[in-house]
Amino acid sequence: MKIINRIIGVVFLWLLFTSIAQAANPTLVIYTYDSFSSDWGPGPQVKKAFEEQCGCTVEMTGLEDGVSILNRLKLEGKNTRADIVLGIDTNLTAEARATGLFETHNLSLENSALPGPWDDSMFLPYDYGYFAFVYNRELLKNPPASLKQLVEDPQGPTILIQDPRTSTPGLGLLLWIKKIYGEQASEAWANLSDRIVTVSKGWSEAYGLFLKGEADMVLSYTTSPAYHIIAEQDRRFAAARFSEGHYQQIEVAGIVKSSQQKALGREFLAFMLGDRFQSIIPTTNWMYPATLTASELPPEFSTLIDPSPALLFDDKTVARERKLWVNEWLETLVK
Amino acid sequence: MTLTLRSAYRVPVILAVLVLAPMAGLLSLGQLPGFEPQDLQFWQSAYIRRVIFFSLWQALLSALFSVIPAILVARAFALNGNFRFRSLLLRLFGLPLVVPSVVAVLGIVSVYGSNGWLPLGRSLYGINGILLAHVFFNLPLAVRLLLPIWQAIPRHYWQLGEQMGFSKWHRWRYLEWPALKEGLPGVLLLVFMLCLTSFAVVLTLGGGPKSTTLEVAIYQSLRFDFDPAQAVMLALLQLSLCVLVAVVMLRFQRLPEVEISTSSPASKSESYRSLLNWVVILFAGIYVGLPLASLLIDGLSGPLGGVVSNIYLWQSAGNTLMLGLGAATLSVIAGWFLLRGSSELANLGQFRRAQLVELCGSVIYVVPPLVIGTGIFVLLSPYVDVFEWVYPVVVLVNAMMGLPFVIRTLSPAMRQNQMRYQFLCQSLALSGWNRFRIVDWPLLRRPVGLSAALVAALAMGDLGVIALFGTPDTATLPLLIYQQMGAYLIPQATVTALVLLGLCLLVFWGLERSIGGKTDA
Repeated sequence: MKIINRIIGVVFLWLLFTSIAQAANPTLVIYTYDSFSSDWGPGPQVKKAFEEQCGCTVEMTGLEDGVSILNRLKLEGKNTRADIVLGIDTNLTAEARATGLFETHNLSLENSALPGPWDDSMFLPYDYGYFAFVYNRELLKNPPASLKQLVEDPQGPTILIQDPRTSTPGLGLLLWIKKIYGEQASEAWANLSDRIVTVSKGWSEAYGLFLKGEADMVLSYTTSPAYHIIAEQDRRFAAARFSEGHYQQIEVAGIVKSSQQKALGREFLAFMLGDRFQSIIPTTNWMYPATLTASELPPEFSTLIDPSPALLFDDKTVARERKLWVNEWLETLVK
Repeated sequence: MTLTLRSAYRVPVILAVLVLAPMAGLLSLGQLPGFEPQDLQFWQSAYIRRVIFFSLWQALLSALFSVIPAILVARAFALNGNFRFRSLLLRLFGLPLVVPSVVAVLGIVSVYGSNGWLPLGRSLYGINGILLAHVFFNLPLAVRLLLPIWQAIPRHYWQLGEQMGFSKWHRWRYLEWPALKEGLPGVLLLVFMLCLTSFAVVLTLGGGPKSTTLEVAIYQSLRFDFDPAQAVMLALLQLSLCVLVAVVMLRFQRLPEVEISTSSPASKSESYRSLLNWVVILFAGIYVGLPLASLLIDGLSGPLGGVVSNIYLWQSAGNTLMLGLGAATLSVIAGWFLLRGSSELANLGQFRRAQLVELCGSVIYVVPPLVIGTGIFVLLSPYVDVFEWVYPVVVLVNAMMGLPFVIRTLSPAMRQNQMRYQFLCQSLALSGWNRFRIVDWPLLRRPVGLSAALVAALAMGDLGVIALFGTPDTATLPLLIYQQMGAYLIPQATVTALVLLGLCLLVFWGLERSIGGKTDA
């Protein structure tokens, strides 16, 4: 009996202590994608850096990708545990806004390195990148110099792309071609279709197949070669610069309306735009940080192509037209 | 009697609730913010017709291309008896089940891609690639499922055949084919279902959106389009298509005419060895072995030390192991009671109902885990912290997915057992635990071991459900592989895949040995 009493006593004390510790140490829950929160992503460093500053605990939940984060939030609605959502891109912000689950951030984006202006009152960008076709310099001597050349040269290189129904880069290429070709996008896809080796479910399959030598080029990011240079000291890979410009992806974060930690959330967003967070991004997320200038990036980034002009549809257009455009793409490619 | 009858339906009712409740949960999402009402045109579109047609067509072709050669291979294994590496080879045949699809795609491409060992070039992408991959996944599985059929042919049948001077053809016609005929439709159905729900492999090796299966459409409607109602409708469509196919196939399946005999069913005999059978085994071994070998080579030349010394890898391995064993246990228990019910119904002469009960367990595989998982999430999230429930839910869903494997491996043996020993048990008043201990267990432990091993492999390779919940502490090896792949860490991912394969081999060996007893498969 005494032992049981003692155990109960210990458990009680433990509960008391942990609850005191929790009260003194608020927790900030961040929903993000798993390549951000994983061991080799920016997550662990970001968590450590912010915890030192805020006297709080950061808890990251890694979901599959931006789409999953938004869906999770929709499913949980007001009951969500999330205080911050980090990792949706501008193709999703209109949809995210429409849920009414986000709070205005009341912060301004100073020192923006983004090529365009930023006037979103709910979401703030933390990094951005550009889609590009990556190739092996030793195997492909004359990469196309424009999207039009890639599309219209029947002798052009073979490519691996991702499915816009299941993958973010896949959707990016769809929008890229739409931006350049407009009403003629279907014809462009028809021209291209013979040289598409395959359309994969996600980025990983396509990139893996590319490294196995299954096609001349793969749809990826302009920053992909930086990974091979910095992490593998391999300089064979390059992204082809297209003269029309490259379609842009901007990744953003926002505060969840139902959060009990909004002040802390705002502190996190401000931290996110600061140098400490931003300098973690280039070599962990392999994207351009949103507020660092070119000179503040790792030197290897200067070897990357200049993707300007940046191409981007506004988020309302994407939300409105996406289904239609994807169906148009499908109709062309299944012929 | 009515009591046992009611208990026969217990497992099917639980299964129905586990499938329908999450779907109802999803359908109730109508009022959620950001919900878009479903697009009615969708159902009349040429798109959905094409998707249905393609799903069925590729699944049927894949099933035939996997199972027909598997008959030859299983026969070769059965007739060539014991040889060196036989059990190792058969355990390797359990491996493809655990290989995550992205890894399998890379393995297939290493062999048949343009820089591969047997290059097919661009013609790989299309139905060729789909078939190559599906046969790689399913031929070995079908061999494992068909092999026990030969072992169940009583020894005195073979002796009788010899006395009557049977030729090879006669043996096949009068001894092997009648036994095979009973099990074949079930195996075909299982492989058909596995191919019907195949997704990343079909999309990637199929060459593009022409190769869209229903599973892709379900994934699309639950993710990018976020239309739960449409996802549920598509899932129900897939389920009913599969039930339809199952009903047609089961028409060909006769319930066995089991002779009440005490003859031992072992049939390994040296006298049936033939060169042709060695060639068949060799080819099957090479076919299954090549993609695995390419993985082994890639893995061993990868950053072994760096990956293996990561504590996170071993946590994930531990999680994977728990998941596999948990799902296997639950699945085998559920399968046991379901089959018990079914064979009791059959005993009472209610063959249709017995088949129906079995069917419930057999077709559950085609209910998309994404739909069930999301549905359970919707049901649970208002009441509990879902993150603390990730493991139970993942184990539960995987156990459900594994049920058809249990049924396939256990059903024939269980029915025979029931028919052979029911009168004996009745006259000895053996029932309940005693009957299980004395009669059922010793005779059924081998198929139980195999089914546990198969379910464990399936669950250990699963990605769908765990990815849905996503939380940093609960990664499994397949999830880790996908995360590494998604972060340029492809060499690391290959090493992780190798660890997963090793773990799976270990579990397969352990379960077959510990449950199934010392005699090899």
